[in-house]
Formats: sequence, structure tokens, C-alpha cells
Amino acid sequence: MEDDILTTLKILIIGESGVGKSSLLLRFTDDNFDPEQTLTIGVDFKTKRLNIDGNNVKLAIWDTAGQERFRTLTPSYYRDAQGAILVYDVCNYATFSKLETWLNELETYSTKRNIVKMVVANKIDMENREVSRDEGLHFAKKYKTLFIEASAKTRDGVQSAFEELVQQIIQTPDLWDSYSLGNNVSLGNKDHPAHTSQCSGYCNLV
Amino acid sequence: MDDVLTETVPAEELKKFEKAYHEQLYKQDVTPKAQFEYAWCLVRSKYPADIKKGIFLLQELFRTHEEGQRDYLYYLAIGNARIKQYTEALKYVRSFLNIEPGNSQVIALETTIKAKMDKEGLMGMAVAGGVVLAIGAAVGLGISILNKKS
Repeated sequence: MEDDILTTLKILIIGESGVGKSSLLLRFTDDNFDPEQTLTIGVDFKTKRLNIDGNNVKLAIWDTAGQERFRTLTPSYYRDAQGAILVYDVCNYATFSKLETWLNELETYSTKRNIVKMVVANKIDMENREVSRDEGLHFAKKYKTLFIEASAKTRDGVQSAFEELVQQIIQTPDLWDSYSLGNNVSLGNKDHPAHTSQCSGYCNLV
Repeated sequence: MDDVLTETVPAEELKKFEKAYHEQLYKQDVTPKAQFEYAWCLVRSKYPADIKKGIFLLQELFRTHEEGQRDYLYYLAIGNARIKQYTEALKYVRSFLNIEPGNSQVIALETTIKAKMDKEGLMGMAVAGGVVLAIGAAVGLGISILNKKS
């Protein structure tokens, strides 16, 4: 039944190539892990329902390719996203250093100014760690993002990462509830026809 | 809700990459990158004419630029599915899966395309069924008229 859905939320997953974005998503949506996960082409898409504090929400998750050659076009998928998951690999310091660039990218291209951000430190099951938990936490504090350590391989932290992100979005009605959008109501606005297809607020039609 | 077959490219994005491509075309020096970026925008357009043009550019890339072939196959499948050329789209999906059998992104695309075909196929049958009923009614009416005459 579709009519008990509170809202549909658009979530992005971004970060460097090979940090495990698609693996985190596969673990979350299918409870599966593929050690031979291939490189994402452009942008992949999956949906998942989640129950948060008694509310059913539908997640439309856009998993972007980390490879350089897709960089110019992936930002066009950022529009109207209410949440973003920024992933780095704890065994590869360079992927952590690049987080700031990804945050800037979000700043530049996301259309919702209070988009909720979650930093996920992936691959904590591995032994050759290069980024400590403290460094990750410090970064998250500095940029006011949520933070969790996770492993797509062992399931650690994966469910919580998505749940905490969605919880935070739900607690920010500006992001999804058309009744609290105030001056930003975009439904029926001729200048922004793209927004009319976006489901915000209570939508029964999917 | 949008998915990979229904989301569309923002118009300004399409224009931006169209311009970059045409600038290179003018100098007769088109890089595979510029052509791919433009084609990627085109196959996400809401206009079938754009999508067809995107398919053409991707086919050309597929022939001339080996390095990006898996990307081209994927977007060829998406482009064709978006203009309802499902058989063609599935042909590209299968070519891809012959090279990378376990690719979950492409397997998911195949499922999405087949679900669309099923949905539209049933609708086609419903329309055909309606026509059959109408013909049946007309024939029935004809027979009853003939019966009256005799």
C-alpha cells in the first residue's frame, strides 16, 4: 500500500572512487555484499522503505560514480536532494582529504540549503587503517555533519547511517513538508517546473 | 517518483554541454569526453528527438573509443528504453552482461525495462481486448439486423 507513506526523500551518495558507496547501498537495500563490486557507471538508483519513529518513508537513493570522468555530470543529480551521504575509506587517507571538495560540491550544486549531511567512514573491518575515528569525528564536528563508522562488508553501522540521516531530515520539516515550506512553495511555480514532479509533503501518488 | 528512465536533465545543463561539443565540432576536434557528456545529457532529455541524437552519438563513440565502451552500452540501453525501443534496449543490456555477467547496476536496469514492458504490454492487450469487444458487438448487431430482415 502506498497511502501510508509519509513522504519520499531523495538521498545522494557521493565520494571518491572505490570507497564503497555502492557496497553501502547494496548492504542497506538488499543486505548483501559483493566483494567484486564493479565500478558504477554514471549514476545508479535504488529505492527502499524505512520506518522511522512510526512513520513510513520511501527513500529514492542516487548512487553517483566516483570516477573522474563522470564528475562533470553527476552534480545535475543533486537538485532537490534532502540528504547526502559522504563516504570515505578509512584505509585510504586521500579519500578522507577529498571530503572537503565533496562538501564544496554539495554547497555549490544542491538546491536545498539545509540539506542534511552524513559522513560515513567505511571499511572499518580492514586492518590497514589510515584515518582514525577521532580525525573523522573532528571533521564532522567542524563542518556540522552527522558521522558514523561503518563496514558494508560486516553490516556494522550501515543501517544506522541511513536511519540517522532520515531521522534528521524528518526533524527538519522545511526539507520535505510542503506545508512548512513558507515562501519556498514551488508547486505550480511556472519558473521551476522541475519541482512539480518532486514529491514533497504527503504524497499518495508514486 | 523519478528513476533512471524518467529523470530528466536540467535544460541549462544540456545547453552547456551542447555548446562545448559544438565548439569542438567547429574546430573539427571533438574529444570522446565532450561527445560523451553531450550524449549523456541528450539521452536524459524529455524530447525523443534529443534522445535519438544522443543514441547516434553514443553509437559513434562505441565504434571509435574502446576505453569507454561499457559506459556507452549502458547509456545506449537507457536511451533506447526511454523512447520505448525496448527490444533494442535489451539488446544492449545483453551485450553488456556478456562482458560483465554479474553487474548489478545493469541487471537492475534490465529488471526496470522488463517491468515497463510488462506494464505497457498489459495496457496494449487491454486496448486490443476493447477493440475485440467492439467488433464482437458490431458483428452481433449486424447478425441481429440480418435476422430481422429475413
